[in-house]
Amino acid sequence: MIHCFYISACLGLIIFQTTVMPNLPLLDRFYDLLLPFVIYVGASRPVRESLIFVLFVGFLMDSLSGSPFGVYLTTYLWLLIGVEFISKFLRLGNRLLLALLVLGGVIIENIIFIGIWGLLGSGVQYPSEVTKRFVIQLLAAIGTGPFLLWALSNGQKRVEKWQTAVFAQRDKPGT
Amino acid sequence: MALILGLAALITVNLIVLSFATRSYSPLGMGRVAISFVAPFQKLITRSMRFAREVWEHYFFLVAVSQENQRLKKSLSQAVEKNNHLREIELSNLRLRSLLNFQQSTPKRVLAAEVIGKDPSTWFNTVIIDKGEAEGLRKGLAVVMSEGIVGQVIETSAHYSKVMLIIDRNSAVDALIQRTRARGVIKGGATDQCYLEYALRKHDIEIGDTVISSGLDGVYPKGLRIGRVSDIIRRNSAIFQAVTVAPFVDFETLEEVLVILDPPKHEFETEQ
Repeated sequence: MIHCFYISACLGLIIFQTTVMPNLPLLDRFYDLLLPFVIYVGASRPVRESLIFVLFVGFLMDSLSGSPFGVYLTTYLWLLIGVEFISKFLRLGNRLLLALLVLGGVIIENIIFIGIWGLLGSGVQYPSEVTKRFVIQLLAAIGTGPFLLWALSNGQKRVEKWQTAVFAQRDKPGT
Repeated sequence: MALILGLAALITVNLIVLSFATRSYSPLGMGRVAISFVAPFQKLITRSMRFAREVWEHYFFLVAVSQENQRLKKSLSQAVEKNNHLREIELSNLRLRSLLNFQQSTPKRVLAAEVIGKDPSTWFNTVIIDKGEAEGLRKGLAVVMSEGIVGQVIETSAHYSKVMLIIDRNSAVDALIQRTRARGVIKGGATDQCYLEYALRKHDIEIGDTVISSGLDGVYPKGLRIGRVSDIIRRNSAIFQAVTVAPFVDFETLEEVLVILDPPKHEFETEQ
């Protein structure tokens, strides 16, 4: 059941990011909403499970994007490695730390994308535009990253609660 | 020590894989599965949003529509007059083309498609459309609108396709300045603008000039509108001039597009 929740959450975020967000004036330059998802999965599930989810999400995003295949997979895998590494030393339940991780994810992703532009041999015609986009994404990540993490955590709790209630009812004697 | 070495090896492998991936856009075929999986949901959400917006625009803004109707009627009468003039030019053009032994220009087969999803990344510009191989689409077909060129199909699945827009960094369109026939290649960039690259410094290009496709790239038919020159920088030491082009198509509000099913052919008949 909980895996269904994770798959629905990541699909919902991908669809929201590719259909709703580009049509809303303030959200069209938003950061990648799958970054908080990857951090959340990395922080709340065992490594093997998180790895499967991260590969799934990375594959979907790479397939839907016009970027060279593997850019999203790279970003998410490094982010997961970072989350797993940090979780060995710090307790990831801290909201401030999770918010900082989202910020770190946005920085890693943008660095990788700018690096890919460099590999494409394109250079950057408007550094000011790129910087502006980068800053907007960072500010948006600070503002909404913790909220998104809270929503995911809350959603998972509700699903778990509902699952427990359903199974308790089923196991009740006489039913 | 082993951890550092392992990390360094991982980074190296990652960089090598990414550098190979950036050499060319060659989907492994697995992307088709992902597009087929996600696109139906995208279509559902996009259609619901459009329906809600249409209801809002059609029923709550009738006053503005009435004013717009008056303005459109006026511009229509001007357009009819201009159309008549252009019809005369077209007829004389046809006569001259037959005199010069040009191939008969046949109307191109086009297919209307709806944009159902946009690129998840803000660094690349692609869209997903609701037509695919089953409707005759294939990689490399040109996608246009009445305003001008939109892009080209880069990946197809059974009922959906991915289109790279001309404002994408990987896009290239062989182009001409309509007024002076100066040539260059239209490429995308960081903003919603395009850049006319390889335009020689000696060529006469002015701000406001219209840029059209040359037809030489084998993707876009000749004469399709691309955009208007919005900025020019001529450096004394450079061979080429830096030309910025504002596309005619508004990519922010892209909803329906036309896919040209016949790729461009050679303009001249072969000598018998």
